[in-house]
Order: sequence, then C-alpha cells, then structure tokens
Amino acid sequence: MAGQIKSLIDTIIEKRSQGSSVLMLTTRAKFYLKGVDPDRYDRLSSDDPAVIARIKEIGAELGVTL
Amino acid sequence: MTIITAYSAKELPGAVTDLEAQCGGFEPRCVLFFASSRYNPLELSRQMQAAFPGALVAGCSTAGEIACGKMVSQSVAAMFLDEEVVGQSAFAVVEHLRDGVRVSDAFTQMERQLCAPVSSLDIERYVGLVLADGLSGAEEALMEKIGDRTDIFFVGGSAGDDLKFESTHVMIGGEVYSNAALLVLLELKRGFDIVKTQSFQSTGKRLMPTKVDERLRLVVEFDDRPALDAYAQVLGVSPEKAPDLFMQHPLGLMVNGDPFVRSPQRVRDRGIVFYCQIKQGLELDVLQATDIVAHTRQAIEARKGDSKAISGIVDFQCILRTLQLRAENRCEEYGAIFTGIPTAGFSTYGEAYLGHMNQTSTMLILR
Repeated sequence: MAGQIKSLIDTIIEKRSQGSSVLMLTTRAKFYLKGVDPDRYDRLSSDDPAVIARIKEIGAELGVTL
Repeated sequence: MTIITAYSAKELPGAVTDLEAQCGGFEPRCVLFFASSRYNPLELSRQMQAAFPGALVAGCSTAGEIACGKMVSQSVAAMFLDEEVVGQSAFAVVEHLRDGVRVSDAFTQMERQLCAPVSSLDIERYVGLVLADGLSGAEEALMEKIGDRTDIFFVGGSAGDDLKFESTHVMIGGEVYSNAALLVLLELKRGFDIVKTQSFQSTGKRLMPTKVDERLRLVVEFDDRPALDAYAQVLGVSPEKAPDLFMQHPLGLMVNGDPFVRSPQRVRDRGIVFYCQIKQGLELDVLQATDIVAHTRQAIEARKGDSKAISGIVDFQCILRTLQLRAENRCEEYGAIFTGIPTAGFSTYGEAYLGHMNQTSTMLILR
C-alpha cells in the first residue's frame, strides 16, 4: 500500500484550514514545527506505520477528527 | 493621536512619571512596556499600572529597548494605544513553564474576559501577544500548544535580562512573574499585519539532525557524525574554528521557502547546543548572513505599500541582531528605518511567531 501518509496530511490541513489559504500555510508551518515535512510524502510514499502514527497524533493535537 | 511611544532612562519612580508626562494626558486602553532588568520588576509593574489604571498594562524585562527610532538600553520603553486602536482585550498568565506547558486554563480565562470562545474570534481582527520568560527553555512547547489551540496569530518574544542570564520577568496588572508566559489578546479595530524578518539566505548546503536531545536544545549528530565535525566540514573549516562562524552561519528550518532560524550557541562534547530546539529527522539549511538594515528596511517598505497606512510597530528583535548592529555601529541606521512610525520593542532572548526562533525580528504592524 502507499499514499496514506500524504492523504492524512492533506486531510488534516484541509479540515483545519477550512478553505482559508492563509490557514493552509500556517497549518503546513505547524507540521514543520512539529517535526514533519508535509512535502516529503506523495501518493507513492510507502505507508510507514511509525510516521502514520505520528501524523494521527498531530491530527489529534490540532483538534482534527480523522 | 492614537498611538504614542516613549522611553525614559530615569530611576523609579521618575521613569514612570517621565512616561506619563510624555503621554501628555493621552488615555491609553493598552500599555506595552519593555524595561531593562536594572529596574525592580515588581515596583515597575505596580507603578506602571497605578499610572495608567484604566488600561491593560503589560510588559517584560529586556536585553535592550527600542523606542522612538532609537535602540537604547538601561531604560523603559513603552507604547500607548487608545480606544481607536484597541477594542476588546484579555490576558492570562501561563505559569510553571518548566514543569510542562499547559495553556487550557489560560484560554478559558481569556474566553471569560471576552465573553466569547476564542474559536469565534475573527483572526483578521484579533491578535495575540506572547511574552515568555527567556530562561524557561519552554518557548517551543508554549508556541506549539498555542498553535494547537487557536489559529489566532500570536507574536512576541522572550524576556531578557541584559545578558546576565540570571532571571527574566513578565509583568501584567501590577504583578510580576518568572517561569511564566504572558498571553494578551487584542482586538485591533484598524487591522494589523505580522512581519517575520531574518537577514539570511540559504547557502544551498544542508545538514540532517540524526541524533538530538530536544530538552537540552542539543544536536549530538548531524548526518550520523558528531555535530561539530559535520557543521565544520560543510563550512570548510576546522572544528576548532567553527564556533567563530556561529553568528554568520546559523541553520534554518525552511518552511514554505522561509527560514525559521536556529542559532548555534556553544559546543558541548562535540555536539552543538542551540538557542532553539532542533527536531530529529528534519533537514536544515545552512544559512549565510546578509545585511540586517537593508533587509529590515525592505520588509517594512513592503508593508508600507499596502492599502492601509502603518500607524505603529512593536518590534521583537533578537539580541543577537542587536549585538551585531552594535558591533557594526549601525544601531542608528536601524532605528532610522522606523522614522515617522511610532515604534517600541525590545531585544529578546528569542522570537515568537507560529514557533520559537532566533536571530529574527518578529513585528506587529498596527494599521
């Protein structure tokens, strides 16, 4: 399987920013500051369980229901 | 007049009387003050609140002050904002930072004061200010927790103590706190912008932190090698010479092409301690210093071109930038950037905007 990490990141950014281009940028910045490069993953990236767990944690920290 | 800035180098209570006199009957709704650590913080906080009883009066200790187009020291600098600028306001103190950062109670307190949930506030109308104990080592966690809780933009800096590194203070409502952070929410009726400016460009060279101790702000290894050796090699110098280049070549977490600067502080057992936490596994760019004055002027000029005029600036400037300006004898040139714009601020032990960073000026631009 592949692409789950990018899908999760995109969902979190979309739900947190609610269509605001400004909040999309700041939410992306928050990912970086939390230690995750959101641009590092694409739809072909393998589904690393440790990374997925961390992304889900970040989603919870940002108050996003996945 | 809706914004006044002032400063005084007198002793207490003369300094506060002097600031009052410079206000000339102006009735502020909000007072921000930044004071040398030579002042007794409790006395200063009490006297400032007593002098402006109807206002939210907030401040911190510094490593130098900025006011009225000048970079000064051993002074109190202040900005006074009236009801044309500031509508609603709220504040809270987050205490015991070193025991773990919790911001829930602070936000609940501010919501009670505002009679509204923070989530309902217009992020283009409300701004947050954050002043943190600069020796707490907790600024990263603080900014992260704030950012988790709200999308309101918080900007600010870490309190200093004139490079003594003994104790720093934040002050509000006549009280004083250490190991704490002050959060202030302001409704800015005429709008605002935030500027984050750092005078560096990427060298194109990168380092990957492969072993870190976040709590100590220590990088043990870059690229699976002792951090000092890897940093020195990428700059083409010996490890012994590398610390001489720390100020010129900090590292940058590149976010949307913009660096969040992480400044090396000192060597520890061939590792490097930074003034900021470094995240393991997130590559950093090696930065090259450029011209602080030119870059900052450019950043301000870019904002002047926007539709609404600038009516004031609060400048949270890294002490490392101040030291560089002093060494280059360019403090006057830096101050001149703000000619005609009421500006107040201070030299910080770290800057805040979305996260914690170094060798940067974060600024609140008041429209």
